[in-house]
Amino acid sequence: MSGEGNGAGWLSRVYARYGISGPVALLLLVLLLGVPLLPGEYWTHVGTEVLILGLFAMSFNLLYGYMGQISFGHAAFFGVGAYATAMLFTALKTPAGQIGIPQFFLSLLIGPPVAALIVGFFCVRLTGIYFAMLSLAFGELLFYIVFSWYSFTKGDDGIQGLLPPPLFQDAVNFYYLTLVIVVAAAVVMWRITESPFGYTLRTLRDNQRRAAFLGTNVMVHMLANFVIAGAFAGLAGALWGPFSRSVNPVLLGWGESGIAVFMTLIGGAGAFIGPMIGSVIYTMLQAMVKMYTVYWPLTIGTIILLIVLFAPGGILGVIDKRIRAGRSGQSANGGDAEAAARGAEPRP
Amino acid sequence: MDIGPYVLQLFSGLSRAMVLFLLSAGLSLIFGVMNILNFAHATLWLLSGYVTFSIFTFLSERLGASPWMLLPAIAGTVALMMLAGLALERFLIRRTYERELPEQLLLTFALVLILGDLIKLVWGLENRRINLGVQPIEMLDSLVNPYQFVIVGTGVAVAAGLWYFLHRTRFGKIVRAAVYSRSMVSALGIPIPAIYAMVFAMGVGLAALAGGVFLPLLPMALGEDLDIIVQCFAVVVIGGFGSMLGTFVASIVVGVVYSFSILFWPDGALAMIFLIVIAVLIWRPWGLFGTELRY
Amino acid sequence: MASSSDVRRWDGVIDRLKLSRRDFIFSTLATGALMLAPRFAGAQAAQPYKIGVLLPSTGTGANYMAHCIKGLPVAVDELNKRGGLLGKHPVQIVYRDDETKPDVGAREARSLILNDKVNCVFATYSSAVALAVQEIIHEHKVLHLAATSNSSKITQDNYTPYTYQLCPDSNMQSGAVVVAVSRMAQKNNWKSFVSLGQDYEWGRDTHRGFTTGLAKVAPNVKETRQLWFKLGETDFTSYITAIMAAKPDFMFGALAGKDAETFMLQGNQMGLFKRVPFPGGLVAVNDLKAQRKTLPRGLIGLARCPFFAHLNEPIMQAYIKRDRAAFGPEGYPDDWACMHYDALGALEQGAKKAGSIATETIIKALKGATIDTCRGKRTFRDCSNQLDVPSYIGEVWDSPDYPFPIYKPDTMIVVEGHDVWTPTCEEVEKLKKKRA
Repeated sequence: MSGEGNGAGWLSRVYARYGISGPVALLLLVLLLGVPLLPGEYWTHVGTEVLILGLFAMSFNLLYGYMGQISFGHAAFFGVGAYATAMLFTALKTPAGQIGIPQFFLSLLIGPPVAALIVGFFCVRLTGIYFAMLSLAFGELLFYIVFSWYSFTKGDDGIQGLLPPPLFQDAVNFYYLTLVIVVAAAVVMWRITESPFGYTLRTLRDNQRRAAFLGTNVMVHMLANFVIAGAFAGLAGALWGPFSRSVNPVLLGWGESGIAVFMTLIGGAGAFIGPMIGSVIYTMLQAMVKMYTVYWPLTIGTIILLIVLFAPGGILGVIDKRIRAGRSGQSANGGDAEAAARGAEPRP
Repeated sequence: MDIGPYVLQLFSGLSRAMVLFLLSAGLSLIFGVMNILNFAHATLWLLSGYVTFSIFTFLSERLGASPWMLLPAIAGTVALMMLAGLALERFLIRRTYERELPEQLLLTFALVLILGDLIKLVWGLENRRINLGVQPIEMLDSLVNPYQFVIVGTGVAVAAGLWYFLHRTRFGKIVRAAVYSRSMVSALGIPIPAIYAMVFAMGVGLAALAGGVFLPLLPMALGEDLDIIVQCFAVVVIGGFGSMLGTFVASIVVGVVYSFSILFWPDGALAMIFLIVIAVLIWRPWGLFGTELRY
Repeated sequence: MASSSDVRRWDGVIDRLKLSRRDFIFSTLATGALMLAPRFAGAQAAQPYKIGVLLPSTGTGANYMAHCIKGLPVAVDELNKRGGLLGKHPVQIVYRDDETKPDVGAREARSLILNDKVNCVFATYSSAVALAVQEIIHEHKVLHLAATSNSSKITQDNYTPYTYQLCPDSNMQSGAVVVAVSRMAQKNNWKSFVSLGQDYEWGRDTHRGFTTGLAKVAPNVKETRQLWFKLGETDFTSYITAIMAAKPDFMFGALAGKDAETFMLQGNQMGLFKRVPFPGGLVAVNDLKAQRKTLPRGLIGLARCPFFAHLNEPIMQAYIKRDRAAFGPEGYPDDWACMHYDALGALEQGAKKAGSIATETIIKALKGATIDTCRGKRTFRDCSNQLDVPSYIGEVWDSPDYPFPIYKPDTMIVVEGHDVWTPTCEEVEKLKKKRA
């Protein structure tokens, strides 16, 4: 992926225009389109999981990479989205246990905003460590509510029987459905991050006080971003239920939040597509490692440790740096400065 | 009215409080001085419990079984874990001082995963416990576990010791000064890295002490660290980041409130703690006794 | 033999002594290389039969599952010495950790079915995980043998023809405790009790089953207080003083796993059981072994499948002998291992009866079938595929024959499953959800 510095003129232009995310996203899309060609239905399921968790991680990165706040309760959005969908799904099912296609889409569309509405209500008043702790506390509170409120949520038993309509019961069809939704969501997120709103978020990340002096309404922007990030996490959660055929309070726990953090860190929070790359690496690795050893936490823990110590920008951060170093060595035209300004959100 | 049950409930609340304090003291110390939220604190505590178990068993087999073997076992564990703490600080934590908060959090989170699996690798899946043959004693028409006095005593002793250390020794005063201003301490020619290394080792040592002291009361089991760390966070948040007095007071508040909630409103015991934490975070994020610092 | 390599791999999972550091690093880091290596060496005469074993080695259930996880490969090896299923299909097992998390359980079940092509799944410890796994096995039409998770939902509300359950379900177990406690209440003139439960569905369910059951048979015994604690509680002191303050005639506990162990340890140190009898708490064989020094003698415990209750059964005798040979003189199987061994036996006998290893024929053969188990001849209930197995209640007592306490034989109450299983088959049919 790092070899396009000298050849492939158009790829180079994409890189100059969109930063590292551009070429990587294109290559990734081509690869993702081909996933069902892999032998065995299982890898299609893994591909679906990559997409759903990737979307979840990208929504997390709206808070982390763009706004500079680390949330340890982001899974609450994911989980509430999953539950909202699961409940609607159950309510809309025909008595025969089948679900029609329109109802299926309806349940997908209503779930996420509900999640955003509920969690977004707990507004963003704090930053830094306090933000992290408060998000953790609220996440745990929501987990506890879902866990204990048996009559409404079925408690820790979870909700089973979320079989999608027959057309999407097939792994490949469900995969392409997920791909379409995730790509559409990613495009919308990209538009948001490149809008004036997105740039305001970056100034909040870099210096909140200065942004406030410039007349930015800090709270409103943070809250809006929180709700947006929550809605996308909720969308990911909404896809998770029908994918896994059941939902459970574990989806709201801080362990699940940790997954988004890990993926973002592995892929690189500085690039828009970084969390998705992180999801590809994390999910594939997990699928393979768990076949051979129960020491998955040790494996992923070691990887995180190495990345924090030696590759702070994540995989894409490192590649980006390499390419930049190579290019500025070859030529010193102004395009690099533009690319640096555009594509890179280094340093969360 | 018979006040016996209330006195006992207060006592059990205090015992719970001291458990929480012993667990949180190291966390609070490390956060206050180094500004690092150590997710792995409870995992280090759990590891210490297993280590104490192994030393205790080893000593009992070699030198004959006796409850007193727990003392050298705890001492040995504290020494070992402090060395481990120094090594962790030197090779891992130190590299992240100049980094941003999330990366520090992730580093310690990675340690949770790694240490948790190492415990599984070394000690296997089975729980570990020791039996000191403690017999209950009669008190106020009920029975209590005499070991609870040990817990309360240790908690108070550690609190007093930390107070003495922070307020009456030169090193402690430097540590306190570092809580307020790292750069000023550094400008006075005091080597901050050495202070940090020692504080981190002390924090880990406190976790190790707690691990050893709880061993007779609590089977050590995989995953117990994750059950405990959230409680520790609650205490530290309520008390105030970096305030040892705050941690002590918050432990007592949480322990006693919890204990009496069980008596009067058992379903809401946990919700009470949650509500206190969230209220504190919203209205006074730096905690009851903390001062608003760097963030 | 393929399965012996499984044994080695499994020992690596659990038995720290047999796992060198190098093996470990190899198995964790060199996964890429391992992917290319053939998973199971050697061609087999007939098509092998693959069992996916989905049990936790992470999370609250891990401690309970330790013996099953290392015991199953031994049992399978022995089965393979006889030629495997139908005498010709060697059995292979593939182990996965469900981490006691339902979404992980569902994912790993998929991985086992689609990737490892298992014919059957043994799962699992947690009922919530079992429910999630059921959705996957039903969709892919794979046999599911549940031998520890015991929510009645598994065989009733969430019924699927592919699931067979080999442990007493939560209703049967509560029913058994009601039988035993009501007898004791009458004898000792007990009038009041306090309940302590784990605040989650299994705890609530067990408590509900007990209180409603007891209200029917002994309406004069009143519950004076309910205490619920969060899963993973580490300090029961305040709960114990509250229980003692209420001065009940006895207490009922709906708690299992690590929390039960912590509670027993702390309750014993505080003298709780000297003041307040605690009948019918889960005290399985692994608890008897692990807490041999601290368990109060005379405590009335509940077990699901204690080996000492069936020492006359040849299957049990053989099983004990084999596990002691494999794991040392103290290697007596615990309840969970016995029930998983019965699952393997059910599979073997089902295949024999069906004359085939095809899942559809095996589930037909097992429907309402009577099988030989560690616990004698047992029959599957027609409407729910729940095995008719008893629950065991008895007094913890130092036996001269074992290095750990067992239940005192003359105090043991064995409550047969069909006496206490609820609800009736007609009601079970109504509970079953429609499946697409």
